Amino acid sequence: MASNVKFSRRRLIAGAASASALSIASPFIRTAHAAGSLSIGFWDHWVPGANDALTKLCKEWGEKEKVDVKIDYITSQGSKLQLTAVAEAQAKSGHDILQLTSWDAPNQAKNLVPVDDIVNAAVQKNGKAIDVVEYLGKVNGSWIGVPATNGSQVKGPCGRMDLLAKHAGLDIVKMYPGADGKPDKALQDQWTWDAFLSAAEKCHKGGNPFGLGLGQTTDSVDWVGALFAAFGAILVDAKGNITVNSDATKQVLEYMQRLVKVIPADVFAWDDASNNKYLISGQGSLIMNPPSAWAVAVRDNPKVAEQCWTFPSPKGAKGRFAPGLPYFWGTWKWSKNISAAKSLLTHLSDRASIEKMVIGSGGYDIPGYSGLRDFKTWAEVGPPVGVAYNYPPRGEEVVSIAAAPAPVAIAQQIYAQATMTKMIAKCTQGGDSVAKAIGWASSELEGFMRT
Amino acid sequence: MSQHSIAANSNVAPVQRSMQRSRRWALLWSYFFLVLFAIFFLMPPIYMLITSLKDSGEVSAVTNPWWVNRPTFDNYLALFRSSDYLTFFRNSCVIAVIVVVVTMLISIPAAFSLSRMKFWGSTTLATGVFLTYLVPDTLLFIPLFKIFAFINQTTGIELINHWWALIIIYPTLTVPFATWILIAYFASIPKELDEAALIDGAGYFQMLTKIFIPVAIPGIIAAMIFAFTVAWSQFLYPLAFTTSADQLVLPVGIVTTLIKGDVYNWGQIMAGALLGAAPPLVIYAFLMDYYIAGLTAGATKG
Amino acid sequence: MENDMTSLQVSAARRPITMKVFLRRKSTVAFLLALPLIVLVTTLVIYPALFSMYLATLNKSMERFVGLDNFTFLFKRETFWMVVKQSCIFAVTAVVFKAAIGFMLAHFVHTIPAKGQRKWRGMLLIPWVIPPAMSTLGWFWLFDPTYSALNWIFVRIGMDPVNWLGDPFWARFSVILVNVWYGAPFFLIMYLAALKSVPEQLFEAASIDGANWWQKIWYITLPMMRNIISITVLFSLIVTFSNFDIVRILTAGGPVDQTHVFATWAFNLGIQGNDIPLGASVSLFMLPILGIAAIFILRGVNKRGNEA
Repeated sequence: MASNVKFSRRRLIAGAASASALSIASPFIRTAHAAGSLSIGFWDHWVPGANDALTKLCKEWGEKEKVDVKIDYITSQGSKLQLTAVAEAQAKSGHDILQLTSWDAPNQAKNLVPVDDIVNAAVQKNGKAIDVVEYLGKVNGSWIGVPATNGSQVKGPCGRMDLLAKHAGLDIVKMYPGADGKPDKALQDQWTWDAFLSAAEKCHKGGNPFGLGLGQTTDSVDWVGALFAAFGAILVDAKGNITVNSDATKQVLEYMQRLVKVIPADVFAWDDASNNKYLISGQGSLIMNPPSAWAVAVRDNPKVAEQCWTFPSPKGAKGRFAPGLPYFWGTWKWSKNISAAKSLLTHLSDRASIEKMVIGSGGYDIPGYSGLRDFKTWAEVGPPVGVAYNYPPRGEEVVSIAAAPAPVAIAQQIYAQATMTKMIAKCTQGGDSVAKAIGWASSELEGFMRT
Repeated sequence: MSQHSIAANSNVAPVQRSMQRSRRWALLWSYFFLVLFAIFFLMPPIYMLITSLKDSGEVSAVTNPWWVNRPTFDNYLALFRSSDYLTFFRNSCVIAVIVVVVTMLISIPAAFSLSRMKFWGSTTLATGVFLTYLVPDTLLFIPLFKIFAFINQTTGIELINHWWALIIIYPTLTVPFATWILIAYFASIPKELDEAALIDGAGYFQMLTKIFIPVAIPGIIAAMIFAFTVAWSQFLYPLAFTTSADQLVLPVGIVTTLIKGDVYNWGQIMAGALLGAAPPLVIYAFLMDYYIAGLTAGATKG
Repeated sequence: MENDMTSLQVSAARRPITMKVFLRRKSTVAFLLALPLIVLVTTLVIYPALFSMYLATLNKSMERFVGLDNFTFLFKRETFWMVVKQSCIFAVTAVVFKAAIGFMLAHFVHTIPAKGQRKWRGMLLIPWVIPPAMSTLGWFWLFDPTYSALNWIFVRIGMDPVNWLGDPFWARFSVILVNVWYGAPFFLIMYLAALKSVPEQLFEAASIDGANWWQKIWYITLPMMRNIISITVLFSLIVTFSNFDIVRILTAGGPVDQTHVFATWAFNLGIQGNDIPLGASVSLFMLPILGIAAIFILRGVNKRGNEA
């Protein structure tokens, strides 16, 4: 089969040999097959082995439908996946199916084939698509991307049970137990951003501060976005008006001025890996991250891993928001095999397929359909068992993306330019006043209004 | 002889002694600073080597970063067994070699022409070729997308996401400097040799192959080394133009595939980076004198 | 053919321009030999550069012509001027340090006995030989917030750990430091070669006259090396100014855009911000600044060349 695949290290030489043989083959030869060929660019999963589950799904489908499937796994490191989308849109050629990051999907809307048929059918079987997925995937009333399972993630708190209990008196397992426990509603209601701040202060005093990134990469922007949403601090509203200069914004910035004092000084330079490293080293008592940090700790520092527990974000005045990052699969309008592409995407949106991807990723992936929250994977992965049970947002937790509900073109820039974290940096590390930071943000937002 | 010279000798001796003393001081200071800077210059590669010998558990643990408690070659072995990494290596090698050949095929005739012959605009071209470096690659990669897309639409030749597109673009980075080096070398060849050859009835082609190239071999080797190193180390162009794992070259491959978002494997990354730095280092170790001679062509001859 | 023969017979000096004659002309051969170079530069450097100037006049979605709007927009933004300032400070500071260190080290290598020089020269050039993307990864690991090996040493000797990449001052320092580390060896090699071409007798005569080391440098070495200093400084200014790899890998422009240089900011706006014309406009800004620097420095070189 002509497929280029990332092998996990345990796979043996047979696979490697065939892959390298294909690499040497002349690039102009396209293997002739009955129903054509399909070239796909998927996101390169960080969890080792997750790509294999997806490859298997596509291969099986390819054999059944007699389509020659070629998969590339493209990293989002260094904006590579974004670069690819831009390059292919410019060149009007490339893969048939390309995985699109949260903002690329609506931004490339005019180049993508509408997929209402696929998504509507999936919604019938899997439950409604969550709001944030619709906000991003539906442009002018039409779905232009199929909600992707692989890579869609949530960056809620992942904390150390022992340290949080010791320093802050928080029993997170009691608050949000595993599959067989009874959730403590009273404790959950007390888990607010104020409680978060007080716990952070106590952990700082105890020598294990929270590790909350305030850099410009997605980990930092995502959790700050949820914080802003919880306070109701909207930068740009759904109609496109700049509403950053509000009491809610002032409140959240003043909150951050207090929080910054109790987290490490270098968080302003943190990239997506820094909080993982902070947790794995044993120093941190809480980070905002999907279970990938825990997964690496299992390998590198098991003592830390068995004390990890993922649980929902704190509640704010406007609700409990989970920082989310949904991905999409899209088909370019100029693809030569649109029907095969659509057929594969339909297959991948089946509950069974989605479950296989979730299993393959060890529970990292969060499907975009609200009916798919009960897969066994989340209840079962460990140690400690239950660490990921509360990872998929349920109940009152709403998945949001930073800068929503602004019009997508503007929100994308707020996200890419990390306006929110920069505002925080200005009025904390930068020494500016809250008013000055808001003023700066206002002028930045005006810049984003350009078409 | 007699008193005059004795007096002269005794006047010279103190001056000589103080010159010797100051020379010794100079030597001491020199070694001091050289050692200091050698530590500064060599510290990062050595640290990379140390890290590459650690397994990921030891990297994550908060132990002495400058010492390896449990040295292991696992990182290197994993890379050699990884078909991806070998593909990157192979792509880099193939591209670098072809680019060197292409560069030489363009630069040598051009340098010959610009250093010896005149045509309309040749003097501007000789100095101007250097100025192409004023146009940085971050400016060019977007319009180059468009050009490749246009080629794809009109001729069906796919350039984006294929490594051979890099062979077309890299010469823009290597040819100007290589030409400049060669012009300096060719210019230093005495004109009498030309005239002697012409009198003997040699044509330009023979002049080039039988006289110029042999005499300028050091310069040509230096230019080839330069072209190889530039082609090997490129980061932005391959980052922008290649996506699929089988098309990547080493610098981009290491940064993008070994660093998976929030899961870095530093031991492997450092091992990969050192292996990626190995070919230029090896060439440098064997051909250091040519390397340096090529760089300094301008300083000594220009 | 016949015409040629008769013409030849009539006047040996006048030859009609036929294809054959044209091809044998020295200037034509010269032109043809340089043609690949000309074609390469025209199609892959000049044409794309002009095309990007056209791109810079389009609106964000590349559907409308908006003239100089992108530029006026940039001029109004505080971040843009910060990037201009940073790029210039970064380039100038880094080049000054590289040149100074290279010059100093060239002297030291020149002073030690000839046998050892080759060894030291070899060791000290290594930073320049390693691909910058690879060595920057090594530095990135050295500066890591949690695991920095440098901070580990600092803490052990009683100093505070340094926030290498998170504090605005230290982040700028780090970027310049890595750039200097990478580029100083190039200056060392160039200046060493130039130093060797300065006649030894000049120095000895100066010593006998009682000159100290500083006077020797100021009155002998520097004047003789003016040209090579100018050329290396110009070359390095251009390369440093348009640097992408180091800043991108080390800080990606952070924190809060305070280490952005033109190249990385253009990438950020153009690709990540999905505004290609704006990215092209930012990149284009490098051209006039570099052009002015080039004119000043090259003019000095040519003048001295004419005097010599």
